[in-house]
Amino acid sequence: MTTVALLGNPNTGKTTLFNELTDKYAYVGNWTGVTVEKKVGQIRHSHTKVIDLPGVYSLNPITKDESVVTNYLLGHSPDLILNVTNASQLKRNLLLSVEVLELGVPVIITLNMIDDLKRTGHYYNLKTLSTELGCPVRTTNARNKEGLTELKADLVRDQSEIKPNLPLKLNYPLMVNQAIRQAATSLTKDYKVEPKFAHWLAIQYINNNKVVRKYATMHQLKPLLSQKAYYDAQKFDDQIFETRLSFIEKTLASATEQLKSTQHVAITSKIDKVVTHPIFGLPIFVGIFYLMFKLSFDWIGTPLSGYLDGFLSGPISSWANQFLTQAGALPMLRSLIVNGLIAGVGGVLVFIPQIFVLFACITILEDSGYMSRAALVTDRIMEMIGLNGKAFIPLIIGFGCNVTGIMAARTIEQPKERLITTLISPFMSCSARLPIYSLFVAALFPRHQALIVLSLYFLGIVVALFMAKFYHVIFKAKEHSVFIVELPQYHIPRLDIVWHGTWDKGKGFIKKAGTIIFAGTVLIWLLSNFGVHGYVTQIDQSFAANLGQILLPVFKPIGISTWQPISALLTGVLAKEVISSSMMVLFHTSNQTALIAMIGGSFTAISAYALLVFILLYIPCFATIGTIKSETGSAKWAAYSVISSLAISYTLAFLIFQIGSLLM
Amino acid sequence: MGLFVNILILAVIFGFAGYQIYRAVKRSKQGKCAACDYDCEAKKMLNQSKKRAM
Repeated sequence: MTTVALLGNPNTGKTTLFNELTDKYAYVGNWTGVTVEKKVGQIRHSHTKVIDLPGVYSLNPITKDESVVTNYLLGHSPDLILNVTNASQLKRNLLLSVEVLELGVPVIITLNMIDDLKRTGHYYNLKTLSTELGCPVRTTNARNKEGLTELKADLVRDQSEIKPNLPLKLNYPLMVNQAIRQAATSLTKDYKVEPKFAHWLAIQYINNNKVVRKYATMHQLKPLLSQKAYYDAQKFDDQIFETRLSFIEKTLASATEQLKSTQHVAITSKIDKVVTHPIFGLPIFVGIFYLMFKLSFDWIGTPLSGYLDGFLSGPISSWANQFLTQAGALPMLRSLIVNGLIAGVGGVLVFIPQIFVLFACITILEDSGYMSRAALVTDRIMEMIGLNGKAFIPLIIGFGCNVTGIMAARTIEQPKERLITTLISPFMSCSARLPIYSLFVAALFPRHQALIVLSLYFLGIVVALFMAKFYHVIFKAKEHSVFIVELPQYHIPRLDIVWHGTWDKGKGFIKKAGTIIFAGTVLIWLLSNFGVHGYVTQIDQSFAANLGQILLPVFKPIGISTWQPISALLTGVLAKEVISSSMMVLFHTSNQTALIAMIGGSFTAISAYALLVFILLYIPCFATIGTIKSETGSAKWAAYSVISSLAISYTLAFLIFQIGSLLM
Repeated sequence: MGLFVNILILAVIFGFAGYQIYRAVKRSKQGKCAACDYDCEAKKMLNQSKKRAM
């Protein structure tokens, strides 16, 4: 079997190419850091295995996930490396290519997104590039499948058919060259390291590659270790960089060709002038989000959800009831299935349209290239707080699910900044909270549904940023991560990518309905049908009621006057969607319309908003708590997160209700 | 439907629900990948290698 490693800078379209080549779908986004761990796929009808490695700018890793690539090269020897580059950013992309070419493994370089380059009026002479770099150079456009057949033909070869590559030899300054040669020779002689690999290892070591230095220490490679101080004192790494850069500049200068027709004016830069404008950038960002919520709540999502609810609470529910009665089911079982499961789990499932529309919008924003601009726009505000735009990406991912958001925080290199991002991630309003928002806005703010949800999302962001500033001062975080964001050309989003992305984000929700939401609903049904005296017919005598009533005095100051929402909040720790299904069970309603009427009766606009704020910020769900624990490596941080979010949510809800009541 | 069938169905529902809650708590204790609901490629690989190790 032939192994091909896919390697390149972030956002060069590696993952899209991987999916096209392997007929396998992996998460694609139009921003940095989508591939965190390596993925493996197989080219259909072939014996070629493709490994998609995370995007890196160089083999000298800055972040945790970037070291995956260097470690891979140290431990494995792929038969072929496919170096994917962004044709419009070739100068920076080739810095990585040079490092890879020096390894001497067969390499094919593909200039991806070649259309974007042509639009700028430039092109590269592939022959010149190929001669200078010493490896085949291809062009592709993975998004519309240009050049893929040719590339695939290059990849599905047997190991024996692949032509060996000579390592690329650059003219490093005399002293550097001598150092490389000496180290490589003794590595080969004394440690039986293969000559090509020894040469590469020496360059990487001299170039201060942290992973390679660790590798050398681990393997006790004395020829390198003994010269470390000398290499560093002579600043050989700077000289290596200079040599590489001038080689690339020379190569590109000799290969650049001007295209005659430059009628494709870069629309991208025109759009960017507006959307990344220092003043208008942020309002545009807010506007786009508002539009997203308008689509999910007012225009498409809610009407569709209404039909679904009519179907579930009407025909399905009455059919199940009839069937169970005829079949002779006990009243208890009937109640569990009809009032518990169908009402509760169904009550959450009816929000599928809203959630999917929102996910589709987020995927469109990702695929079009806008998200990178959003990161750039927010970077200015983030900088005032002491975070950088990079932290925005995990936070935005947190809108889908806080767990994935926290995991994405791994791309932040400074430990303190990473911890801060992890701690503030739960304040981002994840999609699990949408069903409960949806219920309350339909009940109390029917005309301003999108606006209220938008305000909650932004309140989440504001609290997160405020806390970030607070932690920044407390932790005395001084070091800053470098924020490099590439602004890709805008694309018209491709339907299949949008569908896959939406499905990828949304399927978790459907899966949860069958697992944890189901379990939470059964739990709340049990609590609301059993009391100290066993099975009860009056819900007021149940455990759920008792528990809610005990806690009622605590929640009174934030505007909650009935026990049902309190018991529902307790089950929300399992998963936030369970709050809605619990409300359905506890209010003993069979359909959404009835529940909305009930909520309308027991809440005022102010108390409902205070409760929504409380739900937005209170204890994270189990999965998130677990992730905080494992990502920070300490149970203390997880416990801290629970306590602090409870305190923050209570204080804010209290202030909103009390001040709001005074004003109204 | 006999009493036995009734009880059996109830037991299955409660049993499944109990198992799911147990699993959720266990998974979140493991944290990271396990707690996440997305079945991405990286996670599939992780699960495969776990199986192999066992």
